[in-house]
Amino acid sequence: QAWDMPTPYGDATFHTQNIAQFADDLREATDGALDITVHSAGSLFPHAEIKNAVRSRQVPIGEFLLSRLSNEDAAYGLDTQPFLATSYEQAQKLWEAQKPVITELLAEEGLMPLFSVPWPAQGLYTNGEIAGVDGLGGLRFRAYNASLEEFAQIVGAAPVQVEAPDIPQAFSTGQVEAMITSPSTGANSSAWDFVSHFSPINAWLPKNIVVVNQRVFDGLDEATQAAVMDAAAAAEQRGWEMSATEAEEKTAVLAENGVEVYAPSDALMAELLDVGTQMLETWEDAASDQAKSILTGYQSN
Amino acid sequence: MSDPVTALVLLGVLFALLASGVWIAVALGLVAFVAITLFSGAPAGLILATTLWGHSHSWALAALPLFILMGEILLRSRLSEDMFSGLAPWLVKAPGRLLHVNVLGCAIFAAVSGSSAATAATIGRMSVPELTKRGYPEGLILGTLAGSATLGLLIPPSIILIVYGVATEQSIARLFVAGILPGLMLVLLFAGYVAVRAWSDPGLIPTETLRASFREKIRASRNLIPVALLIGGVIGSIYTGIASPTDAAALGVVLATVLAWASGTFSWGAFFEALMSATRTSCMIAAILLGAAYLSVAMGFTGLPRNLAEWIGTFGLSPYALLAVLTLFFILLGCFLDGISVVVLTTSIIMPMVTAVGIDPLWFGIYLVIVVEMSQITPPVGFNLFVIQGLTGIDILRIAKAAFPFFLLLLLGVILITVFPQIVTVLPDAMG
Amino acid sequence: MRRILDGVYRGAGFVAGAMILGICLLISAQILLNLSARIFGPVLPSTIPSYADFAGFMLAAATFLAMPHTLREGAHVRVTLVTDRFGPGVRRWLGVAVLVLVAVAGGYASFYAGSLIEESLRYGDTSTGIVAVPLWIVQVPLVLGLGLFTVAALDSAIELVRRPAEPRSCKAWKI
Ligand code: NA
Ligand code: NA
Repeated sequence: QAWDMPTPYGDATFHTQNIAQFADDLREATDGALDITVHSAGSLFPHAEIKNAVRSRQVPIGEFLLSRLSNEDAAYGLDTQPFLATSYEQAQKLWEAQKPVITELLAEEGLMPLFSVPWPAQGLYTNGEIAGVDGLGGLRFRAYNASLEEFAQIVGAAPVQVEAPDIPQAFSTGQVEAMITSPSTGANSSAWDFVSHFSPINAWLPKNIVVVNQRVFDGLDEATQAAVMDAAAAAEQRGWEMSATEAEEKTAVLAENGVEVYAPSDALMAELLDVGTQMLETWEDAASDQAKSILTGYQSN
Repeated sequence: MSDPVTALVLLGVLFALLASGVWIAVALGLVAFVAITLFSGAPAGLILATTLWGHSHSWALAALPLFILMGEILLRSRLSEDMFSGLAPWLVKAPGRLLHVNVLGCAIFAAVSGSSAATAATIGRMSVPELTKRGYPEGLILGTLAGSATLGLLIPPSIILIVYGVATEQSIARLFVAGILPGLMLVLLFAGYVAVRAWSDPGLIPTETLRASFREKIRASRNLIPVALLIGGVIGSIYTGIASPTDAAALGVVLATVLAWASGTFSWGAFFEALMSATRTSCMIAAILLGAAYLSVAMGFTGLPRNLAEWIGTFGLSPYALLAVLTLFFILLGCFLDGISVVVLTTSIIMPMVTAVGIDPLWFGIYLVIVVEMSQITPPVGFNLFVIQGLTGIDILRIAKAAFPFFLLLLLGVILITVFPQIVTVLPDAMG
Repeated sequence: MRRILDGVYRGAGFVAGAMILGICLLISAQILLNLSARIFGPVLPSTIPSYADFAGFMLAAATFLAMPHTLREGAHVRVTLVTDRFGPGVRRWLGVAVLVLVAVAGGYASFYAGSLIEESLRYGDTSTGIVAVPLWIVQVPLVLGLGLFTVAALDSAIELVRRPAEPRSCKAWKI
């Protein structure tokens, strides 16, 4: 069988490289019986359409950013809740709590999660060092979803909507003065061209997820199904390791290119964690019981 | 079925549909449908719906109708006439005279807009009627417009450089800076070509009757103030960060309307006409973009461009040979697919080959844009040709013929940046 | 009937024009907010939530709703160099054939656009930005526009069959 697999990110992204390896593993394990062609960088479908394309079996399998679905159910957005899970261990724990619920939610749409891999933890990009939360006050802060908008409002920053490709321009013209994103995104977009400081505040670890259409998967013979699950498990483990390596490497790349990388002060972190707690309350107001059960599961652990 | 057979069948269908006069947008969609249905197992109808929806609500595209509306407003006010009467006394001695308005106008507008279709539509809307009225030769009016409008892609901001930068993780800021000198080089090549044609055939260019003194020139230049305010306002808003490049299009419409009212020659009726005409033109362009997007998805499913690129990779060519073959490959694909699709469909295969032989990916991005510029003016699928046909009603094949010298100039541009890569790299290197 | 149909095409075209004007006004308002934030600081809210999403949705609506009007006004481009070599009789029947083919394609696209809405409704799909917009609402213009485009193509084909004596009668396909 030949499967076409749309993914949103380019070939240089470690997520895409991990998926290419996943496809190679499967080809080998099934002796070419399952041959996945990876269509990277949104070349087959735009990011926003990938989930629905898998749902209606236009393609059997695809990748997307999990938290994009947070408008559909708050459970999808927990991994982008600021300062809830701020390390790989915590992110792992959160994913374990999240996975059963998300599996159930996706099953309602005929989708089955295969594996999920986090981006490196999100850091703070600014021009000049930020000592405390009041240092963010009044800054024009890039907000691309409701939760970041709320974050900006709490810390007294002005939320600004800037589409990803416009970021360099927006920084160099002063339209944006601060953003939270991963060291990968920063390094890949040559952040040193437009910001001077980076602080690994590890705000959250957003995850990409690879899903397969349940009916297509059920149509595979048992041996192939097992091969898919094995390759997926291997890809998940490999992906998390790649992510951790990526975090170190890309932070180093930032530093090498002259971005000042500084550890956040204890005061800043304490204040940010407070903001996180405050925002979690808003989240709980909007969350279903099912979604809240993830949170209790995660916090009791 | 083997790839060459598949390709021949699809080409046959495309040419048959286009020759029978099927609207281009529909013809592209039908070829895509045939490709998916015959040569892949994917569900063509669902994919069509996903593509129509997914590509129609894009933010980057929102600037297109606004820039077209701006052109329509300028056309219906005195501003575009004023611009020509202001420039005429200055260009009266230049070989080629007002044809340079097409070249320079497109270059300046390229600094505002990221797309070549918007550049062709906006500048062409004003310059084609004016130049035709003044008796300039049709071939050169259409050629300079079609050719120069491709600068919209190279001179920053540029949609295609953003697509390339995101797909290959190159710095978009550096790509933009790298596009500046090659853009100016092409402006010189285009203007030089016009001058050479004017010199070699003195009867070709109509004489402008005005023989103005310096003071009269200055007085005539006052006519340029409104247009200068417009361009300055739009560019200024981008570089002060008040507006993103897409936002700037809206500012362009507002400023054009205000200036048109102020010039006292604009009415509600004219505004309404401008709006409806812009609505039709942008619908026409968007429909073709959607047809092209569907075809691009179909090509993704059939794997034709990918296989062709992989096949090139098997030869193990040296850098120059690889570039020569890739140029042919892109020209060929560019005849049938729109430029952004070509980039998106083949970067996965081509980038590893390119970096393996030691070609600088930043340089390659600029190379790619110039090659894609060529695809904008090659038939049967060339967006600038479609836009200009929409403006003038002249058949695309005739426009393509007029644009052919500019295709060759772009090719010369590719050769120049290959021989002198510094044209591309010197500015970004200076960024440190 | 003729007047009703022409009115519908034109009406949809006006709505499309209004959408483009809407994009312009929305973005202009955002630019004003940017300007105000730069000059006066945080007096006014600094963003219109999801304004890029809304501009995109209006663009989609404008594109599809303008399709029938654009077809009827002869503003969609096509290659005429080959067909111009034929006589008016051949051109007319070729026009009928092409318009029927285009109507079939339009009907096919409308049908699947309809199934897209049906899916969006069934799963309650929403947009992913700050404001969660139910997708079926913003997808309605897609089906409306494509449906009317199909009608306009068929309408033009029938016109071409019935009134060959007046070459100007059908702007969509001049003979
Ligand atoms: Na440009
Ligand atoms: Na072309």
